[in-house]
Amino acid sequence: MPVRHSGLQKEVLALYRRALRMVRTKPPPSRDKFRLFVRYSFKTQAAAVSPRSVGTVEHLIRRGQRQLETYEHPAVRDCQVSREMRDWEVQERRRWHP
Amino acid sequence: MLSIVTRSSARRLQSPIIPLRSFSSSVAALQAVPTETRPLNKEFKIYRWNPDEPQKKPELQSYTINLNECGPMILDALIKIKNEVDPTLTFRRSCREGICGSCAMNINGQNTLACLSRIDRNENKDTKIYPLPHMYVVKDLVPDLTLFYKQYKSIEPYLQTDNPPAQGEFLQSPEDRKKLDGLYECILCACCSTSCPSYWWNQDEYLGPATLMQAYRWIADSRDTYKAHRKEKLQNEMSLYRCHTIFNCARTCPKGLNPAAAIAQIKLHLAAD
Repeated sequence: MPVRHSGLQKEVLALYRRALRMVRTKPPPSRDKFRLFVRYSFKTQAAAVSPRSVGTVEHLIRRGQRQLETYEHPAVRDCQVSREMRDWEVQERRRWHP
Repeated sequence: MLSIVTRSSARRLQSPIIPLRSFSSSVAALQAVPTETRPLNKEFKIYRWNPDEPQKKPELQSYTINLNECGPMILDALIKIKNEVDPTLTFRRSCREGICGSCAMNINGQNTLACLSRIDRNENKDTKIYPLPHMYVVKDLVPDLTLFYKQYKSIEPYLQTDNPPAQGEFLQSPEDRKKLDGLYECILCACCSTSCPSYWWNQDEYLGPATLMQAYRWIADSRDTYKAHRKEKLQNEMSLYRCHTIFNCARTCPKGLNPAAAIAQIKLHLAAD
């Protein structure tokens, strides 16, 4: 039986999907950076907030949508990733491929 | 020789022959006792919410201000609080004379401009200040007006004409110009739109009084030739006809305009077509 998501969960997943699809519109050399940026911002913020605090999640969705709108603009061709993001990536990789 | 000069000058200082006016900062003025006024402490309860801590619920924070050391308007009190008590308090302000519309907020249950509303000097009653109702809050008293501006943009708020004058100014008769009075003064502070229950429930589709009044401002303009196009855009269930003549907009407008009358005019124009 497939997982049934609440409306809020669907909204969150839709935002994440839109963000990941935004990555594919960027020039290939910078795609990895965009993907890391999207995954990092999404996963860290999702982990920091309780799924029960609906108001907080809604606020984060709105903020994410506004942020994504600027990133989706074709003039944005590159982004910066911080040391924290790189460390997080290494950690994640270790977790899944020990 | 030198000692004589100094002594004589010293004597002249002690007993001036020429009557000199003393500076206001001289000793006599400093000795004047200021009249004691009783401090007039007034409590302000202000809505606080910080986006950096989204888990925390919004709350009312209370500040007490001595009104004798503060300007007469709510904005003066807010600026005083921000300067002297709590620099983290966030609000928009610019012109402090009711012409920019930045400081629109909900003061004691009424949407108005902080710079145009006087502080109630009754110290037994507190003053409650909230951001504009039913808008997403960016921080503290700052609402997110993105949608409001998008709606304003959607009515194409600029002159559109097929036959502009070949050169020089685009003239209007005084009568035609008079039709724009009471419309062009709008400063887009969003007080009216955010006081309208219809706008609260249908923000995404209903344009709201402020935007509709500007729509009418361009329909009423004698120089604009795209009136049919403008009316066509409003001819649907939601954009205009969600106005149920509640008149909260006219009641709250800090500039004393009447958006409800403008909306009624649009309805009349659309019905006459």
